[in-house]
Amino acid sequence: MEKNSKKAMIITLATIGIISALLLAFVYEWTTPYIQANQAQKQKQAINEVLPGVVEVKKIEKNGNIFYEGYDANGNRVGVAFTSTGGGYNGVIEVMIGVNLEQNQIYEISILNHQETPGLGARITGKEFKSNFNNQPFGNYNVVKTPPTKEMQVQAIAGATISSESVTEIIESGLDKVTSAYGGGN
Amino acid sequence: MALDLKEMFSDFKNGLWAENPIIRLVIGMCPTLAVTNTTENGLAMGLATSFVLISSEIVISLIKKLIPANVRIPSYILIIATFVTFVDYFLKAFYPGIAESLSIFVPLIVVNCLILGRQEAFASQHSTPRAIADGVGMGLGFTWVLVLLGAIREFFGMGSIFGLALLGEWYRPMVIMVLPAGAFITLGILVGIMNYISREGK
Repeated sequence: MEKNSKKAMIITLATIGIISALLLAFVYEWTTPYIQANQAQKQKQAINEVLPGVVEVKKIEKNGNIFYEGYDANGNRVGVAFTSTGGGYNGVIEVMIGVNLEQNQIYEISILNHQETPGLGARITGKEFKSNFNNQPFGNYNVVKTPPTKEMQVQAIAGATISSESVTEIIESGLDKVTSAYGGGN
Repeated sequence: MALDLKEMFSDFKNGLWAENPIIRLVIGMCPTLAVTNTTENGLAMGLATSFVLISSEIVISLIKKLIPANVRIPSYILIIATFVTFVDYFLKAFYPGIAESLSIFVPLIVVNCLILGRQEAFASQHSTPRAIADGVGMGLGFTWVLVLLGAIREFFGMGSIFGLALLGEWYRPMVIMVLPAGAFITLGILVGIMNYISREGK
């Protein structure tokens, strides 16, 4: 009797496990192309978002980092987009930054991935926060709690100072990366 | 059959009010407190949990006689985890926006004690139709409270509902309402009001 019930236990759990694994394998096969397409789409969209008027994007590797050079219809380089990651309040934040290397200026930024608190830190993806960086020159930024009055100031999200500061730091380190790869803006 | 329908209806109604998982049984608190800072998150969480709850109640009520009593909990968890993983992939593939805002709380549905609790207390002892009725009732009961909580917190914390700004620029959002503390305060007041209402009824 004792032996029988043990056998039944093992068989039951193994059967459920095998059926679950099989079903999930199908679900995985079915959803993975969509998930990957979403991610590729998101990245492409982010590049177009942070570089204005780009029709062609070239992927380039420099110093072990990947940069996306954006060209306009006449073949002129509009700017370079790249990702920069760093720690946020809850987890890793990945930011796509578009820069104008001729003028050492940021075009725009876009948040690719984050795990910030929904409703608070998650608002780093909002236009209000991101526009802090529009057309800012390269350098070190100050995170302030009131509307910015001069250049280099970034207004923190209310209740999410750490997330705001993290994004700012991630952008600063990203800018170092791009200036060292492109030799200080040639 | 007539009796069956009546039973099913009472099982269904049970979850909406009399044994509402959040207000009455006070289970499934992790997602309740964590993701209800916006109305949309509350709704998405409620629906995802309902789907897992109903599907696993169906499966478990169907195979309840085949599962030996001493491995029933691991068996339930395996079945629940399968459905949760399905939801996780499904949201990531077709609703990436929602998947992103719920992030870690989707996989955590596995350990939502509401789901395991209903398998143990209901699905493993009742017929499949009654288990479906229970799952739908409990799922909807869970969802409406999450949506209400989300709406209250989003309204006071951000001045909007479903992302739609209702209050003008003059409103200074009460940030505490979207923080965890706001969840406890809102839930406490809500449970208090519900208790008052049902005591009045007696």
